[in-house]
Amino acid sequence: MKEQLLSLKKVNKFYDEAHILKDISLDIKDGEFITLLGPSGCGKTTLLRCIAGLESIESGDILLNGESIKDLAPNKRNVNTVFQNYALFPHLTVFDNIAYGPRIKKVTKEDEIKVKVDEMLELVKMEGYGDRMPHQLSGGQRQRIAIARALINNPDILLLDEPLGALDLKLRKYMQTELALLQKQTKTTFIYVTHDQEEALNMSDRIVIMNEGRILQVGSPRDVYNNSNSLFVADFIGDRNIKEVEVVERKEDFCSVKLGKSIIDIRTDRSMVKPNECDGKVYLAIHMDKMKISYDKVDNSLYGEITFVHYAGSQIRTEVDVDGEKVTVIEYQNDYDNYRIGDKVYISWEENGAILLPKEDIEKRGN
Amino acid sequence: MKKSTKERLKQNAPAVPILVYLILLVGIPLLLVVLLSFFSRDSLGNIVFELSFDNYKKMLDPVYLRVFFNSFILAILTGLISLIIGYPVAYFTAGLNRKSRSFLILLIMLPFWISSLLRTYGWTILLGKDGLINNALIFLRIIDKPLNLMYNFGTVLTGTVYMLIPYMIISIYNSVDKLDRSLLEASYDLGGSKLKTFFKITLPLTMPGIARGYTLVFIPALGLYYISDLLGGGNTMFLGNLINNMATRGRNKPLASAFAIGMILLVLLVLFIYSKVSKNSKESLL
Repeated sequence: MKEQLLSLKKVNKFYDEAHILKDISLDIKDGEFITLLGPSGCGKTTLLRCIAGLESIESGDILLNGESIKDLAPNKRNVNTVFQNYALFPHLTVFDNIAYGPRIKKVTKEDEIKVKVDEMLELVKMEGYGDRMPHQLSGGQRQRIAIARALINNPDILLLDEPLGALDLKLRKYMQTELALLQKQTKTTFIYVTHDQEEALNMSDRIVIMNEGRILQVGSPRDVYNNSNSLFVADFIGDRNIKEVEVVERKEDFCSVKLGKSIIDIRTDRSMVKPNECDGKVYLAIHMDKMKISYDKVDNSLYGEITFVHYAGSQIRTEVDVDGEKVTVIEYQNDYDNYRIGDKVYISWEENGAILLPKEDIEKRGN
Repeated sequence: MKKSTKERLKQNAPAVPILVYLILLVGIPLLLVVLLSFFSRDSLGNIVFELSFDNYKKMLDPVYLRVFFNSFILAILTGLISLIIGYPVAYFTAGLNRKSRSFLILLIMLPFWISSLLRTYGWTILLGKDGLINNALIFLRIIDKPLNLMYNFGTVLTGTVYMLIPYMIISIYNSVDKLDRSLLEASYDLGGSKLKTFFKITLPLTMPGIARGYTLVFIPALGLYYISDLLGGGNTMFLGNLINNMATRGRNKPLASAFAIGMILLVLLVLFIYSKVSKNSKESLL
């Protein structure tokens, strides 16, 4: 197996009294597209800045290619950052912005720099823009220049701090594809920070979910989406109905739980709650879009009354009252699409859409 | 839609007092000075209303050109020294937290609360033959007879720098304060050391503040006359003293006017250069 490119070992960071990063450990392989995902204030940007060297760490270590870089100044680390506001130098042309890195390091001759800058401009599809000033560019164009300015240095890792945050929705979706392509094309390791789950799911090889300075789950987009390991992740990623339920019976590979008056079976092979732990009260989390509404009785289903129907073109969002608990179902198609408020219906779900989660929070479980 | 004259008058009404003020107290006097500069005077000092360029021709006399040169050098050096001392002060101040920052700015502004004439006298107490510095040095046996610290070009320069440096510090402070710190981080990130980042990013981006500060220091340095009177003792003649002498003791107001116009032209030249330097800047003075 290939050596880890970047290793974070029990990294801790404080701002005065506040504990910003708590024992962060993470290994990143060469060529990966890793996304740090979490709500604002979870420490993801701070972690990125620690890797860049713009913030120091109080304890732990950061290894790049097996060597500690935690005491190196940012200009001595072979990582480059694409800043949230792009931070293009306003007094330099696009060309001079991109050439800034090679010129300041004085290792490349000016005629080679010229060739490299032109290559970069081509890579980010901005040929012919070399003479413009940053203020003459649109947000998306500045973004591309910021990426080119970082990539020209051939960094081991490119750090991107919410780079699409300032763009409008359409451009953001377009740039997601562009970035993912660029990453494959340059074979550079990307560490990408965002609070947008769709961005994370769309682009990453692996997603690191963070909250309150801790890593909660690391996995492929499919993995974190389907097999969330904690209540926080289940709630944060995807749209789920999350209900507190009572365990009535436990079997080898499933648990019977009681929601309202219905007793339903939930498979436990992918859940964080193993049958032997399946005790007392647990949380049931079911993806809204993996549920289905039916007027006929179905096995292993919930029974309730439709209270609201939101028609949104490609999808229908139906709210059902199940013995006082509100359950939301998102359907892209169904034979019965003329739901009326007050109709009595059965709700079933795909087995892999439902998981059980333990009640205690992640902190008490100690990782 | 085009606004009616009445509406526009209403809108601009608040500008009327300042307009009247400027016309009465700046415009008309300036016009009189210009007019006066083309007249001459008789032996008693009365003004002779005869148009001529004689006063301006006199200005080209090497003796007078020397005075222009002295003042010009004094103003340039005042600007330079203020910049060299003021930049680090401003840079350091802008990097502090809010509380210490306000305190330092207060300290920088504090001298303005005392009459500048008094403060200039203060320097004579410090620098005089029997002054604090000489006494201290003699007491410490570093020298055995008082140094001649007063009444030379350096003394005047010290005085003008002291008097005008707050303008430089505040101007640069404003520029440094506006500097986007993420640009500095971007430079470090791209491989720039602190020193290189300063010269490649910080300095160019705070140039508007430097240009503004330099202009704000240069212009008064050209005309301040009480500092060179008190600290220079008339050993080096500067424009301000010259004009003052001509207008008062010399009783030659027309010639004084012509020199005043000459000085104004010199200031305009500096402002012109400044406007070129800060052409692309949003924080321009003009």
